[in-house]
Amino acid sequence: MRINSKQFLTGGLKALTLTLALGTANSAVAGLNIFACEPEYAALAKELAPDARIYSATTAMQDPHQVQARPSLIAKMRQADLAVCAGADLEIGWLPMLQMKSANAKVRSTDQGLFFAAEQIDTLDQMSSVDRSMGDVHAKGNPHLQFDPRRLLGVAEALTQKLAQIDADSAAEYKANFASFSERWSQAIPRWEEKAKPLQGKKVIAYHSSFKYLYNWLGLEQVADLEPKPGIPPSSSHLAGLLNRAKQGDILAIIIASYQSERGADWLGERADLPVIVLPMSVGGNDDSVDLFSLYDSAIDLLLAAQ
Amino acid sequence: MTISTMRLTGVAAACAFFSINAYAEDSSLTNPAISAVLDGYYQNTERPMSERVEGFGLGHTEVAMSANIDDMFYGKLTAVIEVHDGETELGLEEAFIQTMAMPYGLSMRAGRFLSDIGYLNNQHVHTDAFSDRPAAYRAFLGSHYFDDGLRVSYVAPTDLYWTMGAEAFKGDSMQAADEHGERDYKTIGVYTAFTKIGGDAGVNGSWQAGLSYLRNENGRMTAEEHDDHAAVQEEHDHSHSAQYTGENTYVADFVYKWAPNGNYKYQHLTLSGEYFRVTDFKPLEEGHDDHDEHDHDDAGKDYQDGWYLSGVYQFSPKWSAGVRYGQVDTQLMHDDHFDPQKLKETEVSLAWHHSHFSTVRLQYTNQQGTNFDGIEDDNVITLQYVMTLGAHGAHQF
Repeated sequence: MRINSKQFLTGGLKALTLTLALGTANSAVAGLNIFACEPEYAALAKELAPDARIYSATTAMQDPHQVQARPSLIAKMRQADLAVCAGADLEIGWLPMLQMKSANAKVRSTDQGLFFAAEQIDTLDQMSSVDRSMGDVHAKGNPHLQFDPRRLLGVAEALTQKLAQIDADSAAEYKANFASFSERWSQAIPRWEEKAKPLQGKKVIAYHSSFKYLYNWLGLEQVADLEPKPGIPPSSSHLAGLLNRAKQGDILAIIIASYQSERGADWLGERADLPVIVLPMSVGGNDDSVDLFSLYDSAIDLLLAAQ
Repeated sequence: MTISTMRLTGVAAACAFFSINAYAEDSSLTNPAISAVLDGYYQNTERPMSERVEGFGLGHTEVAMSANIDDMFYGKLTAVIEVHDGETELGLEEAFIQTMAMPYGLSMRAGRFLSDIGYLNNQHVHTDAFSDRPAAYRAFLGSHYFDDGLRVSYVAPTDLYWTMGAEAFKGDSMQAADEHGERDYKTIGVYTAFTKIGGDAGVNGSWQAGLSYLRNENGRMTAEEHDDHAAVQEEHDHSHSAQYTGENTYVADFVYKWAPNGNYKYQHLTLSGEYFRVTDFKPLEEGHDDHDEHDHDDAGKDYQDGWYLSGVYQFSPKWSAGVRYGQVDTQLMHDDHFDPQKLKETEVSLAWHHSHFSTVRLQYTNQQGTNFDGIEDDNVITLQYVMTLGAHGAHQF
């Protein structure tokens, strides 16, 4: 049997182009397969697309900078219709490798099933020029934006549009889910702000710029960093300097994230007689943080308890 | 038959590369990912089949550039600058394109690239926890096997990671020596097939295991002329090529990584091991009746093999330590018979990482050899730095 190879090829190419152009239009039936780089985006996806199959590549106990492009992640990304990540180079060490190894055309570009939260809003601390002597900093700004409720709402709105784009059949459903989330979230914001009022103007020493958005929102001030430079672990000479700073007596607490080591913080806390607070970096960072709402409640409660 | 190298006044070229680096942060249309690796060392003596020499030296000084070419293709170029006997050589280790948008989990790579056989081979040497590849890699793959060719890979849509692929290469660096200067090598010399599976074992651990096969059309030795001794040894300076080849090579590999809560920031452990078996290396008998008796008596093993086991523990963000044991059992052709050779290496390394991008390593190797380049009981000490600048490298598993 002879096949007209030219016709076969042209036909094949057309089919290929069609598949690429339409993306995952027919996947609504089976439910979307969503790959979230961090648990906060898995939680957000759950609010907007509760029927989707959602997988979080990392937990709140893992440093999202230092993730290995391991086999299980390649296998999950291979099956994804949509990848939702923080962006701003947070995943630069592993996401490009996952994209290449998973050979999944759907999630390779932000035109299609790739979504970066940091691209939807203005990040804090953008820099016009960076140099590695400054540590592992990101020119595109701070990517840990999950603790800014207004920015996160903006991300939710953009993610809703992305969901509607790649799964047009369920667009109305995603919009309805967003409306519900937006209403509940907007009601929660003034409640949180009221509750956190006593924290305004308080000073903290913290590890990395992990909670920059939280401080920015609630009016706290991070006066010193346990890391001498971003990505560089605390050294004893640096800690000694922090101890001098702490002795001024105006510090509320030492704050670290759920994936960060308590060693340096405990050393300092003991000598400066300051409480050490472990805040959940994301959903799942402690027992109370089961979704985005309880994550915010838990973080604010833990800070208030230090007073 | 060296890798295509091009001599040039290296310093000028290197300077040109490095200055570009100043504004390379994130890859984009006008700004591809550009990175450089600086590797320098001091070593008290040499390891066999290694590129590192005694005294001060530079290892793989590497300049890489990569970016998406368009919505279908990704491209990467890795140039390696090496100094051999006072001459600066610019070699190409990678110059490939890869498809990014083929359906059904398929992808193709073409050009010059690192073969995906085994565990270590597709990784860049500067990410290793030891200053040289295990002896099995140095003997059978010329440290790391990269070549001009084509690869097709497939990733299955399953929760258990499962990939498989096949490659075809020119195979110049894997050719057996040409004893008579008249050998007609096949132009597509090497074919490979590989498969890997992997997954997580709880929240703390991840694993991968693989099987690979390498067919080397030009890997079988030809009968040696009686006055022409030990051609393999003469190849010694030519360290990019595999020195022990055969028609069929089989590789089994595994790796297991562990980190508390899967958090690689503070502590993590990597255990890995690979086994190589190279067969069909002996010259085909040409019906010399008078040799029959001799061959049966003194034929030795009809395979060569090698393996290693390695454990590396990062016990704090700044410090890591590794232990590795590896050995190779090879056969050296000598006139009309083969002499068995053995090299055993026991190694420990201690590395200090000031940041994600800088490593200073002290490594001690004890080598026990039998009929292997005159090695009996040698100690090698290497002090090395490996630093990367420019674009952030990948955390490859």
